[in-house]
Amino acid sequence: MKSEVKISGDRMEITRVFDAPRHLVFAWWTQAEKLQQWSGCKEATKCEIDMDFRVGGSFTQKMQIAGAGEFSFGGRYDEIIEPERIVYHANFGPVITRVIVEFFEQGRGTKVVVTHEGCPDEFFSKTVSQGTTESLDKLDLLLASQAVSLPL
Amino acid sequence: MVNNQAKITAIFAALADPTRRRILARLSNSGAGPVTALAKPFRISAPAISRHLRVLEKARLIHRRREGRVHVIRVRAAGFQPARDWLAQCAAEWDFSFDALDELLKIEQRKGKQHEVRGKNQR
Repeated sequence: MKSEVKISGDRMEITRVFDAPRHLVFAWWTQAEKLQQWSGCKEATKCEIDMDFRVGGSFTQKMQIAGAGEFSFGGRYDEIIEPERIVYHANFGPVITRVIVEFFEQGRGTKVVVTHEGCPDEFFSKTVSQGTTESLDKLDLLLASQAVSLPL
Repeated sequence: MVNNQAKITAIFAALADPTRRRILARLSNSGAGPVTALAKPFRISAPAISRHLRVLEKARLIHRRREGRVHVIRVRAAGFQPARDWLAQCAAEWDFSFDALDELLKIEQRKGKQHEVRGKNQR
């Protein structure tokens, strides 16, 4: 896995550095034709995105998953600050999470930090990791050492 | 993972409640305990505690053992695995998507440079 994954408090952060200027990286998030070229899971054979990229606008992402049929999720944009920040609510799989995407200039490149809030990691970090049971570090290790690929 | 959706939903729904998270926190600190001892620090009724425990039990996050009339509750660490997997999958999917974006950006950058060179040559 080339991305860095960090789980703390009640959030999960995924960080990735891209070797491109910030305005270019940001642009790939703002239009459906661009976004659907890269967004989607490994098993998706086809990805269609409908998006109204403005504060209050909504989006839906439909994917065809080999062996499992269609999977879709949607959400609404809460905040857009070009080219720094996009915040949206997503009905992402079984949970609704608030997703914050931040774009930082880093040298000639761009650091992108995706934060999922409302994941159950508050529980993981505050209880399981401090208790006698398995710790959250395991998950960190798991994420750092291998790309977990599970069908949806 | 499709078959797991119901399980994951049950886990997340169980964890969404602060009282249930506190019950789990207490349990993972103490290991196991009878329901009565577990209920002590919470200013809610016994039936309310029972309801919370039933939700946790249904989500398979706790295990209940009956010792005569006493119910001993313990955390089921393995019960969290589907939720962990979901989180891991969520991160893995971003990583996978980011690989694709990385490629697209590289292609775009190369094209941009070619345009620049062409522009300069024309001038």
